[in-house]
Amino acid sequence: MKILRAVLAITLAVVVFWGLNGRHGLFPPLGKLLNPFAGFWRNGSREAKPPESLTLPGLRDTVDIIWDARHVPHIFARNEHDLYFAQGYVVARDRLWQMEFQALYSAGRLSEFVGPALVQQDRLQRRLGLVWSAEKMARAFQNDPLISEVVGAYRDGVNAYLHSLSPQDYPVEYKILDYAPEPWTELKTALLMKSVAWTLSGRNQDLVMTRTRAILGQEFVDSLFPDLPPFLEPVIPRGTAWDFRPVPLPQPPAAAAASSGQNDAGPGEGPQGLGSNNWAVSGKMTRSGFPILCNDPHLDLTLPSIWYEVQLSAPGLNVYGVTFTGAPGVVIGFNGRAAWGVTAALSDVLDWFEVKFKDKDRREYLYDGKWRPVEVREEKIKVRGVGTSTDRVLYTHHGPVVCFEDEKPLAGWVPRGAALRWGPHDVSNELLSLYRLNRASHYQDFLEAMKSFSFPALNFVYADAQGDIALWHSGRFPLRWKGQGRYILDGSKPADEWQGWVPWEHNPHVKNPERGFVSSANQQPVDETYPYYLGWEYGPFERGRRINESLSAGKDFAPEDMIRMQADNLNLRARLLLPRLLPILRQAGLEAEERACLEALEKWDCQERADSAAPLIFDFLWNALNEKTWNDELKPGMDVLYWPLSNVFLDLALNHPDSPFFDDKKTPAVEAFADIARSAFKTACRRLAEKYGRFGQAWQWGRARGTDIRHLGRLPGFGRERLFTPGDTCTINAIGRTHGPSWRMVVALGPEVKAWGIYPGGESGNPGSRFYDNAVEDWLAGRAYELQFMSSPGQALPGRTSKTELRGEK
Amino acid sequence: MIGIIGCLVVLLVLHLITPLWWWVMAVPFLYGLVFGRSAWRSFRTGAFSAGLLWLGAAIYFHVTGSALIARRVAVMMKLGSSWLMVAAAVTIAALAAGVAGLAGYSLRALFQQKRKR
Repeated sequence: MKILRAVLAITLAVVVFWGLNGRHGLFPPLGKLLNPFAGFWRNGSREAKPPESLTLPGLRDTVDIIWDARHVPHIFARNEHDLYFAQGYVVARDRLWQMEFQALYSAGRLSEFVGPALVQQDRLQRRLGLVWSAEKMARAFQNDPLISEVVGAYRDGVNAYLHSLSPQDYPVEYKILDYAPEPWTELKTALLMKSVAWTLSGRNQDLVMTRTRAILGQEFVDSLFPDLPPFLEPVIPRGTAWDFRPVPLPQPPAAAAASSGQNDAGPGEGPQGLGSNNWAVSGKMTRSGFPILCNDPHLDLTLPSIWYEVQLSAPGLNVYGVTFTGAPGVVIGFNGRAAWGVTAALSDVLDWFEVKFKDKDRREYLYDGKWRPVEVREEKIKVRGVGTSTDRVLYTHHGPVVCFEDEKPLAGWVPRGAALRWGPHDVSNELLSLYRLNRASHYQDFLEAMKSFSFPALNFVYADAQGDIALWHSGRFPLRWKGQGRYILDGSKPADEWQGWVPWEHNPHVKNPERGFVSSANQQPVDETYPYYLGWEYGPFERGRRINESLSAGKDFAPEDMIRMQADNLNLRARLLLPRLLPILRQAGLEAEERACLEALEKWDCQERADSAAPLIFDFLWNALNEKTWNDELKPGMDVLYWPLSNVFLDLALNHPDSPFFDDKKTPAVEAFADIARSAFKTACRRLAEKYGRFGQAWQWGRARGTDIRHLGRLPGFGRERLFTPGDTCTINAIGRTHGPSWRMVVALGPEVKAWGIYPGGESGNPGSRFYDNAVEDWLAGRAYELQFMSSPGQALPGRTSKTELRGEK
Repeated sequence: MIGIIGCLVVLLVLHLITPLWWWVMAVPFLYGLVFGRSAWRSFRTGAFSAGLLWLGAAIYFHVTGSALIARRVAVMMKLGSSWLMVAAAVTIAALAAGVAGLAGYSLRALFQQKRKR
């Protein structure tokens, strides 16, 4: 009896221990997590308070950090080594989990810590060659003594923080997911940079375009996906003279049997949701007589935020702006004399090359009439609770084969049996560009920075206190024949390959244009006079055009005007389309509910306000219009039709209402735009009623669409969900369901630089800190904070500040 | 009572110097093994010492800056309120410690039996 009791009691104790000690599936380890002495309770705000002084082995001198009222660190170091060391230290202090998680994501190592659910994601990262290229980049850091020192100091700073931690001090996500942080390495910095490059230049439609051409024909593709679509106002203003003599262009090879893609070809994520704005106005258009520069990059919004705000000061350098958590220096910002900002350039640096293997063993592939050996890279993916799986990734000289003929693709846009050629697979030195930008004070310095900038291609806007404004469509662009890389290429033919690079000085650029401002919003960079072919898929025209019309219409701009402009919610698409649409709908014979919808549109001033129903109605209507116009063009052999840009649709609707595209191929009658408009409107109204009930509160844009700022690891309760947001992807204030302006910055240059900025989150990555999401409400309201650009650590600041003195070990 | 206070003090010290949660099992287990007088008492000593300690500590952290993180974790665990996280911590500590105390005593009883024979 007692033996039985003992066995039972001990078994019970073991089971309870087992149950509470570990993670079960995604269910957190309760014993560890709830332990008041070391669990989540220790991630409160008390622990978040920075210490007054601290000794850190590795520092060469004393570093002063002033934390302003928004917890932004202003770092004053006495040498550059200490500056980047301290940057690494403070970023780790506030964002350790995030910086490592991002690096692990990029490295395809998440399943090692999270579990089997993420194996496919990890495999894709490995197959895309992100780790391979990051390793090359990390090795290349060592060849540049300057960058090697900067990256090394940053790494040491991160690790100085890491080594000061006990498990109870770990960020709460480690406790929930039950793992521990690893030391930071240069490779992780490189991985982060490759991840950013992929986000901004990895999207492509090569497969879906190949399939569309094969099934629907060249003419179809040419008319719906033109290189230069209607309504376009290119980044570099029309009429800008090119100040270079172009190098000879490669000639397209004689036409041969073209690739036809595959049935289940799916589109890559389009540029419709991705985007950013930047502009700079010259002194002749501002009240102060000095330039103002603005930038708002739109990205997937997460908590912790993608950006970390910081001021970095050392002898010879004083710069303020936002940084990535994991790389040294400021990415977007200003110093006392100059400012810069970026938008995604979207020019094409990614192509697919079909590979002909010799046999089933796939040891050799055909190139230029000969068999070449593939290189094999073994990718070991550790999976928590399961073991290690090994993936053999085959590399041709083009790049990795992402999906074999006989495999199910890891994503719809991945062609089978093709090698990936991606610009950022090559070694490049963007950190050097950032290093130079951080120190730029003249246009010449800016050019020096552009010279070493390769990937991801970006539109760099620049302004300085001398009064120069400029914009460079910067990156390392392959030299192509017109249209090269739009479709899957033949990997066995040298003529299909990239034939060198566009010289960097020939990249599209403009300095001090006549019109008094420069701007970009992810649209096509150039008009037909530019000699090189850079790509075909860019963002829709609305934001760029709205920025240009707003700037052209105004004068005597003050920073407040710019802050207001960044929150502009005018939907240009609606403003152009409604005057054509409304007269048609008035004649349509509508039911009561439909009449209410029409009335809402009639009264609408095309402002995408959160409390208005019209934006929702227009959104549904726009989707129904596109659906009815395009989807009936599908033919057997294709699962998805990729919709053309809004530019193309609007041109047809306004200028070619009898276009055959409007004819519904499924009916014997011949429809025109008016017919499609009527039926789309009825469909939209029906869907709205189904989804949101009767016309009323639930139809408010901010409620029905709303925005989620999700936790980076998708932990429920750690994000800000269902935010009542205005704006749309085609308004300057480009807010979507899960993305939006991730940093808004306005810099007024002059004898004394003044700047404003905000991002929807907060400096701390600790969900238990009030600085985790303190800026969300002000961001929603379109407000921006004045940024405290300090000239010395002793300068007085408004609000509650604190100071940390870091000392090296004597 | 002395057992509860004794366990509580030992637990407090161990918790303060190490991040390990399972002291709330180890200490009551040893208590039951060495001092346990009955199954129920061993369970009770463990449950009360660990439960009270975690209750006090959780309340302390809750009111000194950890309410926000407790609320977020509560949402994640689908418990409505941050105070329910206090309750959850206490429940877990008491349960684990009680079971461990019981197990310790059961083992002790086994040896005692042998010695008597």
